[in-house]
Amino acid sequence: VSSFLAGARVLKYAGLSGFQDYATMFTLKSWLLGWFLRVLAQVTFFALIGELIGSTARLHFILVGNAVMLASMEAMGAVPSTTWERRAGTFPLLIAGPTSPVVVLMGRSVQWLPSGVASATGAFFLLGPLFGLEMPFPRVLLVVPLIVLVALSTYMLGTFLGALVLRAMEARNLVFNISFMTLMAMCGVNVPLEFYPEPILSLAQVLPLTHGLLAIRGVLESAPASEIVLRVGLEAGVGAFWLVMALLAFRRYLEAVRRDGSIEFAA
Amino acid sequence: MRAFRAGARLQLDIIGGSPDYLMEFATAPLFTLIFLMILRAGGREDLSSYAVLAPILILLWRQALTISGEVIDSDRWFGTLEPGIGAPAPLHWVVTGRISAVSIMGLLGVPETWLVAYLFGSEVSVHHPVVLVLTVGATILATTASGLLMSTAFVATRSARTFQNSLSYPFYVLGGVLVPVSLLPDWVQPLSRVVFLSWSADLLRDSLQPASIENVSPRLIVILLLAGLTYAVGRRSLSYVIDRARSTGTVGLA
Repeated sequence: VSSFLAGARVLKYAGLSGFQDYATMFTLKSWLLGWFLRVLAQVTFFALIGELIGSTARLHFILVGNAVMLASMEAMGAVPSTTWERRAGTFPLLIAGPTSPVVVLMGRSVQWLPSGVASATGAFFLLGPLFGLEMPFPRVLLVVPLIVLVALSTYMLGTFLGALVLRAMEARNLVFNISFMTLMAMCGVNVPLEFYPEPILSLAQVLPLTHGLLAIRGVLESAPASEIVLRVGLEAGVGAFWLVMALLAFRRYLEAVRRDGSIEFAA
Repeated sequence: MRAFRAGARLQLDIIGGSPDYLMEFATAPLFTLIFLMILRAGGREDLSSYAVLAPILILLWRQALTISGEVIDSDRWFGTLEPGIGAPAPLHWVVTGRISAVSIMGLLGVPETWLVAYLFGSEVSVHHPVVLVLTVGATILATTASGLLMSTAFVATRSARTFQNSLSYPFYVLGGVLVPVSLLPDWVQPLSRVVFLSWSADLLRDSLQPASIENVSPRLIVILLLAGLTYAVGRRSLSYVIDRARSTGTVGLA
Protein backbone atom coordinates (compact mmCIF):
# COMPACT_ATOMS: atom_id res chain seq x y z
CA VAL A 1 0.00 0.00 0.00
CA SER A 2 2.78 2.40 0.91
CA SER A 3 4.55 1.92 -2.43
CA PHE A 4 1.24 2.52 -4.21
CA LEU A 5 0.76 5.75 -2.26
CA ALA A 6 4.32 6.79 -3.02
CA GLY A 7 3.69 6.11 -6.70
CA ALA A 8 0.49 8.15 -6.60
CA ARG A 9 2.35 11.02 -4.93
CA VAL A 10 5.07 10.94 -7.59
CA LEU A 11 2.42 10.83 -10.31
CA LYS A 12 0.77 13.88 -8.76
CA TYR A 13 4.02 15.84 -8.75
CA ALA A 14 4.86 14.73 -12.28
CA GLY A 15 1.48 16.07 -13.36
CA LEU A 16 2.06 19.32 -11.46
CA SER A 17 5.38 19.69 -13.21
CA GLY A 18 3.57 19.30 -16.53
CA PHE A 19 1.01 21.93 -15.58
CA GLN A 20 3.86 24.29 -14.67
CA ASP A 21 5.27 23.78 -18.16
CA TYR A 22 1.86 24.57 -19.57
CA ALA A 23 1.54 27.71 -17.45
CA THR A 24 4.73 29.07 -19.00
CA MET A 25 3.15 28.69 -22.43
CA PHE A 26 -0.30 30.12 -21.83
CA THR A 27 -2.18 32.42 -19.55
CA LEU A 28 -5.97 32.13 -19.56
CA LYS A 29 -6.10 35.21 -21.79
CA SER A 30 -3.56 33.96 -24.32
CA TRP A 31 -5.20 30.52 -24.32
CA LEU A 32 -8.62 31.97 -25.09
CA LEU A 33 -7.55 34.68 -27.55
CA GLY A 34 -4.70 32.73 -29.12
CA TRP A 35 -5.00 28.98 -28.89
CA PHE A 36 -8.76 28.60 -28.61
CA LEU A 37 -9.42 30.94 -31.54
CA ARG A 38 -6.90 28.93 -33.52
CA VAL A 39 -8.63 25.62 -32.85
CA LEU A 40 -12.02 27.14 -33.66
CA ALA A 41 -10.55 28.30 -36.96
CA GLN A 42 -9.09 24.82 -37.52
CA VAL A 43 -12.47 23.12 -37.17
CA THR A 44 -14.13 25.85 -39.25
CA PHE A 45 -11.51 25.43 -41.97
CA PHE A 46 -12.26 21.73 -42.39
CA ALA A 47 -16.02 22.10 -41.91
CA LEU A 48 -16.14 24.66 -44.72
CA ILE A 49 -14.95 21.94 -47.11
CA GLY A 50 -18.41 20.44 -46.57
CA GLU A 51 -19.80 23.78 -47.72
CA LEU A 52 -17.50 23.65 -50.77
CA ILE A 53 -18.73 20.14 -51.59
CA GLY A 54 -22.28 21.39 -51.21
CA SER A 55 -23.39 18.85 -48.61
CA THR A 56 -24.67 19.75 -45.16
CA ALA A 57 -24.37 16.12 -44.05
CA ARG A 58 -20.66 16.12 -45.03
CA LEU A 59 -20.16 19.45 -43.33
CA HIS A 60 -21.59 18.06 -40.08
CA PHE A 61 -19.57 14.84 -40.39
CA ILE A 62 -16.33 16.79 -40.83
CA LEU A 63 -17.24 19.28 -38.10
CA VAL A 64 -17.80 16.55 -35.49
CA GLY A 65 -14.68 14.66 -36.57
CA ASN A 66 -12.41 17.67 -36.40
CA ALA A 67 -13.82 18.99 -33.12
CA VAL A 68 -13.16 15.62 -31.43
CA MET A 69 -9.82 15.40 -33.22
CA LEU A 70 -8.64 18.38 -31.15
CA ALA A 71 -8.61 16.20 -28.02
CA SER A 72 -6.38 13.71 -29.82
CA MET A 73 -4.17 16.39 -31.32
CA GLU A 74 -3.39 17.91 -27.94
CA ALA A 75 -3.03 14.55 -26.21
CA MET A 76 -0.34 13.76 -28.76
CA GLY A 77 1.54 16.69 -27.22
CA ALA A 78 2.86 13.95 -24.92
CA VAL A 79 5.30 13.06 -27.72
CA PRO A 80 7.47 16.19 -27.43
CA SER A 81 6.80 16.88 -23.75
CA THR A 82 8.07 13.43 -22.72
CA THR A 83 11.45 14.46 -24.09
CA TRP A 84 11.44 17.68 -22.04
CA GLU A 85 12.20 15.55 -18.98
CA ARG A 86 15.37 14.29 -20.60
CA ARG A 87 16.30 17.80 -21.69
CA ALA A 88 15.90 18.93 -18.08
CA GLY A 89 18.62 16.41 -17.20
CA THR A 90 16.61 14.72 -14.44
CA PHE A 91 16.93 11.13 -15.67
CA PRO A 92 19.87 10.10 -13.44
CA LEU A 93 18.03 11.44 -10.38
CA LEU A 94 14.79 9.72 -11.37
CA ILE A 95 16.55 6.40 -11.83
CA ALA A 96 18.31 6.74 -8.49
CA GLY A 97 15.00 7.49 -6.75
CA PRO A 98 12.95 4.76 -5.06
CA THR A 99 9.92 5.08 -7.36
CA SER A 100 10.03 3.90 -10.96
CA PRO A 101 10.89 6.72 -13.38
CA VAL A 102 8.18 5.32 -15.63
CA VAL A 103 5.61 6.84 -13.25
CA VAL A 104 7.09 10.28 -13.84
CA LEU A 105 7.29 9.79 -17.59
CA MET A 106 3.66 8.65 -17.77
CA GLY A 107 2.48 11.59 -15.69
CA ARG A 108 4.54 14.53 -16.83
CA SER A 109 2.42 15.27 -19.93
CA VAL A 110 -1.07 15.11 -18.43
CA GLN A 111 -1.45 18.87 -18.88
CA TRP A 112 -2.47 18.15 -22.48
CA LEU A 113 -5.55 16.22 -21.37
CA PRO A 114 -7.64 19.02 -19.83
CA SER A 115 -6.42 21.40 -22.51
CA GLY A 116 -7.42 19.00 -25.31
CA VAL A 117 -10.76 18.21 -23.70
CA ALA A 118 -11.49 21.93 -23.25
CA SER A 119 -10.56 22.67 -26.89
CA ALA A 120 -12.63 19.79 -28.24
CA THR A 121 -15.75 20.33 -26.13
CA GLY A 122 -15.55 24.11 -26.60
CA ALA A 123 -15.28 23.78 -30.37
CA PHE A 124 -18.02 21.14 -30.49
CA PHE A 125 -20.57 23.06 -28.43
CA LEU A 126 -19.78 26.47 -29.96
CA LEU A 127 -19.44 25.59 -33.62
CA GLY A 128 -22.04 22.79 -33.71
CA PRO A 129 -25.04 25.11 -33.29
CA LEU A 130 -23.39 27.74 -35.53
CA PHE A 131 -23.24 25.25 -38.39
CA GLY A 132 -26.73 23.90 -37.70
CA LEU A 133 -25.65 20.56 -36.18
CA GLU A 134 -28.51 18.80 -34.39
CA MET A 135 -27.65 18.26 -30.75
CA PRO A 136 -30.22 16.00 -29.08
CA PHE A 137 -30.41 17.07 -25.44
CA PRO A 138 -29.58 15.53 -22.95
CA ARG A 139 -27.89 12.75 -24.99
CA VAL A 140 -25.45 15.26 -26.41
CA LEU A 141 -23.91 15.68 -22.95
CA LEU A 142 -22.50 12.15 -23.31
CA VAL A 143 -20.11 13.64 -25.84
CA VAL A 144 -18.08 15.18 -22.99
CA PRO A 145 -17.03 11.94 -21.22
CA LEU A 146 -16.47 10.34 -24.62
CA ILE A 147 -14.08 13.15 -25.55
CA VAL A 148 -12.27 12.53 -22.25
CA LEU A 149 -11.98 8.85 -23.20
CA VAL A 150 -10.59 9.75 -26.63
CA ALA A 151 -8.06 12.10 -25.04
CA LEU A 152 -6.96 9.42 -22.58
CA SER A 153 -6.56 6.66 -25.14
CA THR A 154 -4.63 8.98 -27.48
CA TYR A 155 -2.44 10.04 -24.57
CA MET A 156 -1.30 6.43 -24.24
CA LEU A 157 -0.23 6.34 -27.87
CA GLY A 158 1.45 9.73 -27.37
CA THR A 159 3.49 8.50 -24.40
CA PHE A 160 4.45 5.36 -26.34
CA LEU A 161 5.76 7.50 -29.21
CA GLY A 162 7.34 9.80 -26.62
CA ALA A 163 9.28 6.80 -25.28
CA LEU A 164 10.48 6.06 -28.81
CA VAL A 165 11.61 9.62 -29.57
CA LEU A 166 13.67 9.72 -26.37
CA ARG A 167 16.25 8.01 -28.57
CA ALA A 168 15.99 10.67 -31.28
CA MET A 169 15.00 13.83 -29.46
CA GLU A 170 15.49 16.14 -32.43
CA ALA A 171 12.66 14.32 -34.19
CA ARG A 172 10.11 15.00 -31.43
CA ASN A 173 8.16 17.77 -33.20
CA LEU A 174 8.28 15.97 -36.52
CA VAL A 175 6.90 12.78 -34.97
CA PHE A 176 4.23 14.77 -33.12
CA ASN A 177 3.00 16.48 -36.28
CA ILE A 178 3.08 13.41 -38.48
CA SER A 179 1.40 11.21 -35.88
CA PHE A 180 -1.58 13.45 -35.16
CA MET A 181 -2.07 14.15 -38.85
CA THR A 182 -1.98 10.42 -39.51
CA LEU A 183 -4.78 10.00 -36.97
CA MET A 184 -6.63 12.77 -38.78
CA ALA A 185 -6.19 10.95 -42.07
CA MET A 186 -6.94 7.38 -40.94
CA CYS A 187 -9.42 7.40 -38.06
CA GLY A 188 -12.62 8.45 -39.82
CA VAL A 189 -12.29 12.11 -38.93
CA ASN A 190 -13.00 13.51 -42.39
CA VAL A 191 -14.37 10.55 -44.33
CA PRO A 192 -16.36 7.50 -43.20
CA LEU A 193 -14.27 4.43 -42.37
CA GLU A 194 -15.83 2.52 -45.29
CA PHE A 195 -13.94 4.85 -47.60
CA TYR A 196 -10.57 3.34 -46.65
CA PRO A 197 -8.99 0.32 -48.32
CA GLU A 198 -8.82 -2.85 -46.18
CA PRO A 199 -5.22 -2.48 -44.83
CA ILE A 200 -5.87 1.10 -43.62
CA LEU A 201 -9.23 0.08 -42.18
CA SER A 202 -7.56 -2.71 -40.17
CA LEU A 203 -4.88 -0.36 -38.89
CA ALA A 204 -7.50 2.21 -37.89
CA GLN A 205 -9.05 -0.39 -35.54
CA VAL A 206 -5.97 -0.33 -33.29
CA LEU A 207 -5.55 3.43 -33.32
CA PRO A 208 -7.07 5.67 -30.67
CA LEU A 209 -9.86 8.03 -31.74
CA THR A 210 -11.43 5.62 -34.27
CA HIS A 211 -13.90 3.90 -31.92
CA GLY A 212 -14.40 6.89 -29.62
CA LEU A 213 -15.37 9.03 -32.58
CA LEU A 214 -17.78 6.34 -33.79
CA ALA A 215 -19.33 6.30 -30.31
CA ILE A 216 -19.79 10.08 -30.45
CA ARG A 217 -21.32 9.90 -33.90
CA GLY A 218 -23.58 7.13 -32.53
CA VAL A 219 -24.73 9.38 -29.67
CA LEU A 220 -25.60 12.16 -32.11
CA GLU A 221 -27.44 9.79 -34.46
CA SER A 222 -29.32 8.08 -31.60
CA ALA A 223 -27.67 4.72 -32.27
CA PRO A 224 -28.58 1.77 -29.97
CA ALA A 225 -26.89 1.94 -26.56
CA SER A 226 -25.28 -1.48 -27.11
CA GLU A 227 -23.44 -0.18 -30.16
CA ILE A 228 -22.17 2.85 -28.26
CA VAL A 229 -21.07 0.72 -25.30
CA LEU A 230 -19.22 -1.61 -27.67
CA ARG A 231 -17.35 1.33 -29.20
CA VAL A 232 -16.51 2.72 -25.75
CA GLY A 233 -15.11 -0.68 -24.78
CA LEU A 234 -13.02 -0.87 -27.94
CA GLU A 235 -11.65 2.65 -27.45
CA ALA A 236 -10.73 1.83 -23.84
CA GLY A 237 -9.15 -1.43 -25.02
CA VAL A 238 -7.05 0.39 -27.61
CA GLY A 239 -5.97 2.85 -24.91
CA ALA A 240 -5.01 -0.03 -22.59
CA PHE A 241 -3.01 -1.66 -25.39
CA TRP A 242 -0.99 1.53 -26.00
CA LEU A 243 -0.52 1.99 -22.24
CA VAL A 244 1.13 -1.43 -22.04
CA MET A 245 3.23 -0.62 -25.09
CA ALA A 246 4.29 2.70 -23.52
CA LEU A 247 5.29 1.02 -20.24
CA LEU A 248 7.33 -1.58 -22.11
CA ALA A 249 8.97 1.05 -24.29
CA PHE A 250 9.93 3.22 -21.29
CA ARG A 251 11.30 0.23 -19.39
CA ARG A 252 13.33 -0.89 -22.38
CA TYR A 253 14.65 2.58 -23.01
CA LEU A 254 15.70 3.14 -19.39
CA GLU A 255 17.49 -0.21 -19.30
CA ALA A 256 19.32 0.63 -22.52
CA VAL A 257 20.54 4.08 -21.42
CA ARG A 258 21.71 2.71 -18.08
CA ARG A 259 23.61 -0.02 -19.87
CA ASP A 260 25.32 2.17 -22.49
CA GLY A 261 25.95 5.12 -20.15
CA SER A 262 24.04 7.67 -22.22
CA ILE A 263 21.60 8.49 -19.47
CA GLU A 264 22.92 11.97 -18.87
CA PHE A 265 22.89 13.02 -22.49
CA ALA A 266 20.24 15.65 -23.05
CA ALA A 267 20.26 16.39 -26.78
CA MET B 1 23.38 41.73 -53.18
CA ARG B 2 26.31 39.82 -51.68
CA ALA B 3 24.72 40.17 -48.25
CA PHE B 4 21.45 38.83 -49.65
CA ARG B 5 23.17 35.80 -51.20
CA ALA B 6 25.20 35.15 -48.06
CA GLY B 7 22.03 35.28 -45.97
CA ALA B 8 20.31 32.81 -48.31
CA ARG B 9 23.28 30.41 -48.19
CA LEU B 10 23.45 30.62 -44.41
CA GLN B 11 19.74 29.85 -44.07
CA LEU B 12 19.94 26.82 -46.38
CA ASP B 13 22.81 25.47 -44.26
CA ILE B 14 20.79 25.98 -41.09
CA ILE B 15 17.73 24.29 -42.57
CA GLY B 16 19.77 21.29 -43.67
CA GLY B 17 20.90 20.73 -40.09
CA SER B 18 17.58 20.22 -38.34
CA PRO B 19 14.60 17.97 -39.11
CA ASP B 20 12.25 20.55 -37.55
CA TYR B 21 12.84 22.83 -40.51
CA LEU B 22 11.61 20.14 -42.88
CA MET B 23 8.39 19.60 -40.93
CA GLU B 24 6.12 21.28 -43.43
CA PHE B 25 7.39 19.03 -46.21
CA ALA B 26 6.41 16.03 -44.11
CA THR B 27 2.91 17.29 -43.39
CA ALA B 28 2.10 18.69 -46.87
CA PRO B 29 1.50 15.20 -48.38
CA LEU B 30 -0.81 14.35 -45.48
CA PHE B 31 -2.79 17.56 -46.00
CA THR B 32 -3.05 16.75 -49.71
CA LEU B 33 -4.23 13.23 -48.98
CA ILE B 34 -6.85 14.40 -46.46
CA PHE B 35 -8.22 17.06 -48.81
CA LEU B 36 -8.32 14.66 -51.75
CA MET B 37 -10.09 12.02 -49.66
CA ILE B 38 -12.75 14.49 -48.53
CA LEU B 39 -13.40 15.64 -52.08
CA ARG B 40 -13.48 12.11 -53.48
CA ALA B 41 -15.77 10.85 -50.72
CA GLY B 42 -18.01 13.86 -51.39
CA GLY B 43 -18.12 13.11 -55.11
CA ARG B 44 -16.31 16.32 -56.04
CA GLU B 45 -13.14 15.11 -57.73
CA ASP B 46 -13.59 18.00 -60.14
CA LEU B 47 -12.16 20.14 -57.32
CA SER B 48 -8.96 18.10 -56.96
CA SER B 49 -6.88 21.09 -58.04
CA TYR B 50 -8.07 22.86 -54.87
CA ALA B 51 -6.71 19.98 -52.80
CA VAL B 52 -3.30 20.21 -54.47
CA LEU B 53 -2.90 23.98 -54.22
CA ALA B 54 -4.06 24.41 -50.63
CA PRO B 55 -1.19 22.42 -49.03
CA ILE B 56 1.35 24.48 -50.98
CA LEU B 57 -0.07 27.73 -49.63
CA ILE B 58 -0.28 26.21 -46.15
CA LEU B 59 3.34 25.13 -46.42
CA LEU B 60 4.49 28.59 -47.52
CA TRP B 61 2.53 30.32 -44.78
CA ARG B 62 3.66 27.88 -42.09
CA GLN B 63 7.28 28.35 -43.11
CA ALA B 64 6.89 32.14 -42.97
CA LEU B 65 5.38 31.77 -39.53
CA THR B 66 7.81 29.31 -38.01
CA ILE B 67 11.16 29.43 -39.81
CA SER B 68 11.20 32.98 -41.17
CA GLY B 69 9.38 34.31 -38.14
CA GLU B 70 12.17 33.08 -35.91
CA VAL B 71 15.16 34.28 -37.94
CA ILE B 72 15.97 37.32 -35.79
CA ASP B 73 14.87 35.79 -32.52
CA SER B 74 17.05 32.72 -33.05
CA ASP B 75 20.02 34.98 -33.83
CA ARG B 76 19.40 36.63 -30.50
CA TRP B 77 19.35 33.24 -28.77
CA PHE B 78 22.55 32.10 -30.42
CA GLY B 79 24.28 35.42 -29.71
CA THR B 80 24.89 36.13 -33.40
CA LEU B 81 22.71 39.20 -33.61
CA GLU B 82 25.42 41.51 -32.22
CA PRO B 83 28.02 40.64 -34.88
CA GLY B 84 25.22 40.76 -37.47
CA ILE B 85 24.39 44.33 -36.50
CA GLY B 86 28.05 45.28 -36.18
CA ALA B 87 28.99 43.90 -39.62
CA PRO B 88 29.27 46.35 -42.54
CA ALA B 89 26.65 44.49 -44.62
CA PRO B 90 23.13 45.89 -44.11
CA LEU B 91 21.28 43.57 -41.75
CA HIS B 92 17.99 43.85 -43.64
CA TRP B 93 19.57 42.37 -46.76
CA VAL B 94 20.96 39.44 -44.82
CA VAL B 95 17.58 38.84 -43.17
CA THR B 96 15.73 39.24 -46.48
CA GLY B 97 18.15 36.77 -48.09
CA ARG B 98 17.55 34.26 -45.34
CA ILE B 99 13.78 34.59 -45.51
CA SER B 100 13.77 34.47 -49.33
CA ALA B 101 15.68 31.18 -49.19
CA VAL B 102 12.97 29.75 -46.93
CA SER B 103 10.18 30.94 -49.22
CA ILE B 104 11.85 29.67 -52.39
CA MET B 105 12.58 26.33 -50.76
CA GLY B 106 8.85 26.08 -50.11
CA LEU B 107 8.40 25.61 -53.86
CA LEU B 108 9.55 22.02 -53.37
CA GLY B 109 6.04 21.52 -52.05
CA VAL B 110 4.67 21.92 -55.59
CA PRO B 111 6.05 18.67 -57.07
CA GLU B 112 5.46 16.98 -53.74
CA THR B 113 1.71 17.63 -53.60
CA TRP B 114 1.34 16.97 -57.31
CA LEU B 115 3.00 13.58 -56.84
CA VAL B 116 0.63 12.70 -54.00
CA ALA B 117 -2.34 13.60 -56.20
CA TYR B 118 -0.93 11.48 -59.01
CA LEU B 119 -0.40 8.49 -56.70
CA PHE B 120 -3.91 8.99 -55.35
CA GLY B 121 -5.21 8.79 -58.90
CA SER B 122 -6.31 12.40 -59.20
CA GLU B 123 -5.40 14.29 -62.32
CA VAL B 124 -4.59 17.96 -62.03
CA SER B 125 -3.79 19.84 -65.23
CA VAL B 126 -2.32 23.29 -65.69
CA HIS B 127 -4.41 25.24 -68.20
CA HIS B 128 -2.73 28.63 -67.83
CA PRO B 129 0.96 27.97 -67.11
CA VAL B 130 2.07 31.60 -67.49
CA VAL B 131 -0.49 32.79 -64.95
CA LEU B 132 0.51 29.96 -62.63
CA VAL B 133 4.21 30.86 -62.78
CA LEU B 134 3.57 34.61 -62.35
CA THR B 135 1.22 34.01 -59.41
CA VAL B 136 3.66 31.65 -57.73
CA GLY B 137 6.39 34.29 -58.14
CA ALA B 138 4.21 37.04 -56.66
CA THR B 139 3.17 34.71 -53.84
CA ILE B 140 6.79 33.97 -52.98
CA LEU B 141 7.49 37.71 -52.76
CA ALA B 142 4.45 38.25 -50.54
CA THR B 143 5.41 35.30 -48.35
CA THR B 144 8.90 36.70 -47.94
CA ALA B 145 7.51 40.09 -46.98
CA SER B 146 5.17 38.46 -44.44
CA GLY B 147 8.09 36.48 -43.02
CA LEU B 148 10.08 39.68 -42.52
CA LEU B 149 7.17 41.37 -40.77
CA MET B 150 6.61 38.37 -38.51
CA SER B 151 10.28 38.03 -37.65
CA THR B 152 10.36 41.61 -36.39
CA ALA B 153 6.96 41.40 -34.66
CA PHE B 154 8.04 38.31 -32.70
CA VAL B 155 11.10 40.18 -31.44
CA ALA B 156 9.36 43.52 -30.86
CA THR B 157 6.77 42.10 -28.47
CA ARG B 158 7.15 38.89 -26.52
CA SER B 159 3.36 38.54 -26.43
CA ALA B 160 3.31 38.32 -30.25
CA ARG B 161 5.39 35.17 -29.97
CA THR B 162 2.69 33.61 -27.79
CA PHE B 163 0.31 33.95 -30.71
CA GLN B 164 2.76 32.58 -33.28
CA ASN B 165 1.14 29.17 -33.37
CA SER B 166 -2.30 30.73 -33.51
CA LEU B 167 -1.75 32.58 -36.78
CA SER B 168 -2.14 29.47 -38.93
CA TYR B 169 -5.74 28.32 -39.38
CA PRO B 170 -7.36 31.76 -39.01
CA PHE B 171 -5.31 32.81 -42.03
CA TYR B 172 -6.11 29.63 -43.95
CA VAL B 173 -9.79 30.48 -43.55
CA LEU B 174 -9.39 34.20 -44.23
CA GLY B 175 -6.98 33.52 -47.09
CA GLY B 176 -9.38 31.07 -48.74
CA VAL B 177 -6.53 28.64 -49.27
CA LEU B 178 -8.94 25.75 -49.85
CA VAL B 179 -12.45 27.13 -49.67
CA PRO B 180 -12.78 30.27 -51.82
CA VAL B 181 -13.44 33.53 -50.02
CA SER B 182 -16.72 33.86 -51.94
CA LEU B 183 -18.12 31.03 -49.79
CA LEU B 184 -17.30 32.83 -46.54
CA PRO B 185 -19.90 35.03 -44.82
CA ASP B 186 -20.25 38.51 -46.37
CA TRP B 187 -18.83 40.29 -43.34
CA VAL B 188 -15.59 38.27 -43.52
CA GLN B 189 -14.88 38.94 -47.17
CA PRO B 190 -13.52 42.52 -46.91
CA LEU B 191 -11.14 41.27 -44.22
CA SER B 192 -10.00 38.44 -46.49
CA ARG B 193 -9.12 40.86 -49.24
CA VAL B 194 -6.29 42.40 -47.25
CA VAL B 195 -4.70 38.95 -46.87
CA PHE B 196 -2.53 38.25 -49.91
CA LEU B 197 -3.30 34.52 -49.67
CA SER B 198 -6.88 35.16 -50.80
CA TRP B 199 -5.71 36.77 -54.08
CA SER B 200 -3.02 34.14 -54.61
CA ALA B 201 -5.35 31.22 -53.93
CA ASP B 202 -8.05 32.51 -56.30
CA LEU B 203 -5.60 33.17 -59.11
CA LEU B 204 -3.77 29.85 -58.64
CA ARG B 205 -7.06 27.94 -58.75
CA ASP B 206 -8.11 29.83 -61.88
CA SER B 207 -4.81 28.93 -63.56
CA LEU B 208 -5.73 25.24 -63.27
CA GLN B 209 -9.21 25.65 -64.74
CA PRO B 210 -9.85 25.59 -68.50
CA ALA B 211 -12.00 28.76 -68.44
CA SER B 212 -10.32 32.00 -69.45
CA ILE B 213 -9.14 34.13 -66.55
CA GLU B 214 -10.35 37.66 -66.07
CA ASN B 215 -8.33 40.60 -64.72
CA VAL B 216 -5.06 38.72 -64.38
CA SER B 217 -2.87 41.84 -64.28
CA PRO B 218 -4.88 43.78 -61.69
CA ARG B 219 -5.06 40.71 -59.47
CA LEU B 220 -1.32 40.14 -59.73
CA ILE B 221 -0.74 43.82 -58.99
CA VAL B 222 -2.82 43.54 -55.82
CA ILE B 223 -0.62 40.65 -54.59
CA LEU B 224 2.51 42.66 -55.39
CA LEU B 225 1.10 45.78 -53.72
CA LEU B 226 0.26 43.84 -50.57
CA ALA B 227 3.76 42.32 -50.70
CA GLY B 228 5.36 45.76 -51.11
CA LEU B 229 3.33 47.28 -48.31
CA THR B 230 4.08 44.38 -45.96
CA TYR B 231 7.77 44.54 -46.83
CA ALA B 232 7.90 48.31 -46.19
CA VAL B 233 6.28 47.85 -42.78
CA GLY B 234 8.56 44.89 -42.03
CA ARG B 235 11.68 46.81 -42.98
CA ARG B 236 10.64 49.78 -40.85
CA SER B 237 9.85 47.48 -37.94
CA LEU B 238 13.28 45.86 -38.30
CA SER B 239 14.97 49.27 -38.07
CA TYR B 240 12.83 50.14 -35.06
CA VAL B 241 13.55 46.85 -33.29
CA ILE B 242 17.30 47.10 -33.87
CA ASP B 243 17.47 50.80 -32.90
CA ARG B 244 15.51 50.13 -29.74
CA ALA B 245 17.68 47.14 -28.80
CA ARG B 246 20.82 49.24 -29.38
CA SER B 247 19.61 52.17 -27.31
CA THR B 248 18.43 49.99 -24.43
CA GLY B 249 21.45 47.69 -24.55
CA THR B 250 19.31 44.58 -25.09
CA VAL B 251 20.64 43.36 -28.44
CA GLY B 252 22.05 40.21 -26.91
CA LEU B 253 19.20 39.41 -24.56
CA ALA B 254 18.04 35.84 -25.00
